[in-house]
Amino acid sequence: MASLQPLWWFALPVLLLPIWWHMQKRERVKTELLATARFLPAAAPQQQRVPRWIELLLLVLRLLLLVTLIAWLAVTTIPWRGDTVLIEAPLESSDPAGVVQQVAAAGMTQAARLPLPSDALSWLVHHEHEWRPGARLLILASQLPMPAEPPRLAHPLDIRTAPAPASSAAHPASTAASAAALPAHAIVVATTDARRPQWQAVFAAFGTSAVGRYQLQQAPTSDTELIVWDRPEAPPANWHAPLWWRSGAATANALTINGLRMHIADAPQGRIWTAPDWLPANESGAAALYETWQQLARPTPAYPMPQYASSPTRSAPLPLPGVEPAQWLAWALLALFAIERILTHVRRR
Amino acid sequence: MLETPALVAQAADLELVIRHVLAGLGHGIHAGRERGAGVEFSEYRAYAPGDEWRRVDWKLLARADRYYVREAERDSHVAVWLWLDATASMAEPSRSVQGLDKFWFARTALACAAAIAQRQGDAFGLVICTDGRIDFTPASRGPRQLQRVLAALQRATPSGLLPDADVLRANLHFARSPSMVLAATDALDWPSPLSEALLRLRHLRHDVRLLALRTQAEVDAQFASGHAYRDPEQPGVLHRFTAEERDAYRAAVGAHFDAVWANCRQHDVPLCVATIEHPVGAVLRDWLRPPSARKR
Repeated sequence: MASLQPLWWFALPVLLLPIWWHMQKRERVKTELLATARFLPAAAPQQQRVPRWIELLLLVLRLLLLVTLIAWLAVTTIPWRGDTVLIEAPLESSDPAGVVQQVAAAGMTQAARLPLPSDALSWLVHHEHEWRPGARLLILASQLPMPAEPPRLAHPLDIRTAPAPASSAAHPASTAASAAALPAHAIVVATTDARRPQWQAVFAAFGTSAVGRYQLQQAPTSDTELIVWDRPEAPPANWHAPLWWRSGAATANALTINGLRMHIADAPQGRIWTAPDWLPANESGAAALYETWQQLARPTPAYPMPQYASSPTRSAPLPLPGVEPAQWLAWALLALFAIERILTHVRRR
Repeated sequence: MLETPALVAQAADLELVIRHVLAGLGHGIHAGRERGAGVEFSEYRAYAPGDEWRRVDWKLLARADRYYVREAERDSHVAVWLWLDATASMAEPSRSVQGLDKFWFARTALACAAAIAQRQGDAFGLVICTDGRIDFTPASRGPRQLQRVLAALQRATPSGLLPDADVLRANLHFARSPSMVLAATDALDWPSPLSEALLRLRHLRHDVRLLALRTQAEVDAQFASGHAYRDPEQPGVLHRFTAEERDAYRAAVGAHFDAVWANCRQHDVPLCVATIEHPVGAVLRDWLRPPSARKR
C-alpha cells in the first residue's frame, strides 16, 4: 500500500466553497418598500444581478487556511505499515524455498513483503515513521554492507544474510569460472606501436579473478573506465572517460602517492592524472600503479554484514524528514484560524 | 419628558406611553356613569394584581386579613371594539422620524383607547386583522382585560394581507349588543373586506370611528427618487418615483382619500385622517371626539 497523502491535494476544489460564499449577487436596482407604491406608475423590472465580492480579506484568509490545511494533511504521515519482510529481489527469484523457510523461521508468514531498496539500512531509518509501533522488520538478502554503527530503529529488526562466500583464492579451480562471470572492464590505450605490447602485458597482469579482466579498445565507449593517453599530442575533444592517465610534464603542485608523482585535475572529459611516464618500469612499479589506481579510483568494497538482530532503541520513530515544513504549516494553520475567527467575529458586530 | 413623537416611539413599554398620552387627555369617550370607587356600591371582589390601591377596602383588610376591592355599580353597557389593521402595508415607516411607523402609531392609539375604556368601566375587546386571518380577543372588563389586550397588541406584527370577506363576516358575531368600534388602519385598501365590514357594522347601528393613518412623506410626496419601490402587499411589481411623477402621485393619493372620506360620510362614519408624525394625544383626542363636535 502506498501512502495516500498526496491524494489530499485532490481536495483543492474545496477552495471553491468560500469563493462561492463570498461572491454575492447584488440586485443592481435598489428597491424599497413603500405602502403607497400602488399610486405610482409601474416600472419595467430591471433586476439585473451583478456578482460582487464581499469581505475580500476574509475570503483570502479562508482560502489560505484551506490551502494550509490541505498542505499540512498532505505532508503529515500516519503510520500504516505492519510487520514487513524486505527481500532482495534476486534472492527471492533464485532461492524461493530458502526465503519461505527463513520467513517461517522468523514467524513472519503473514507479514507484507517489500523489495529491498538499495542502501537498505539508511532507507529504513528515513522511512521508519511509516511503520506502526510494534511492527517487526525482517531483511532477507544475500549480502548487506556493514554500516559503521548498528542501525538504531524504533522497531525490532532482524537481518538474515546468506553465509559469506569462501575466498576465491582458496579454490583455484573456480577462479577461471568466476573470472569469466565477472564483467570485462573496458580500457582505451592510445600509445605508440612500440609500447603497446608492454601496456597489454600490464593490463593482463592487472586482471584478476576478483575484479575481472581488462579489455583494450581502440576508441572510448560509454562503458570505458580508463583512457591511457601515452602520446605527445592532445587527445580528441570528444573522448570521455571517468579517468585519464596522460603523459606530460610534472607541474609544481604534483602529488606523490605510493611513490608515483602525478598531477590530478578534473576536466570536462573526466578526471585526468598527469605524470611524465605512466608505463611501469618493473613489477614493483606496476604494483604501485595498480594499488594507487584501485585506492583512488574505486570505492572500497563494503564489509559484508553477518546475521544481526536488533531490539528497538527508541519508543517512537524519529520525526519525519520533512518535519520542518509540517511544523511550520501547523503553526501557520493555527494562526490563520485564530485570525479568521477574530475577523469574522469583528465583522459580525 | 416624552414630548416628541420620536421619544415616544422609542418607548417600548405600552403602559408607559398610555400613561403619558392620557395624562393630558380628559376622561371619557361617552357618557359612562362610573366615577370610581364609592359610587353606587354593589359588591366586594377579591383583589387582583393591577387593581388600583385606592380601591382596596382597608377596613375590610383589617377585619378579614384579605384584600378586597369595592366594585361599583356600572351603568355602561357599551362594549368597545378595537380594530387593528396589521397588514404588511402598516409597516410603512415615517421617513422623517426614526423608529416610528404606522403600525406603532395604530397600536399605541388603540392601547390608549383600551385604557380609557377600562377606566370608564366599559367592556372592550380586540380584533386584529393580520396575514389573512383574524386574532380575536373577546370583550371583557377590568385591569386584567387591559393586560390581555396590551399583550395581544404587543404580540402583533404587520404582515400579509387582509382576511377576505367571508372570514370577516364569520367574525362579526359580536355585533349583537350596541358597541363602539374604533378602527385604526391606513385605509389604502378601500373598498376592501375591512371597509365593507366596518360599514356593515355601521348599518347595524354601531358607533364606528375610523382612524386613517398617513405619513408626512406621503402627504408631501417626498420620497427619494431614482429608487424602485415595491408594494409590501404585492412585492413582485416594481414602481418608480421621479420628480415628474410627484404631482401625479399626490393627485392619485388625494383622490383616493377623498373617495374614502366620501364613502365614510355617505355611511355616516366619522373619519379621522392623521399623520403619524403628530403627537398621539392630539390625534387621539380628535379621533375620539363626539361626532357632533366635529368640524368636518
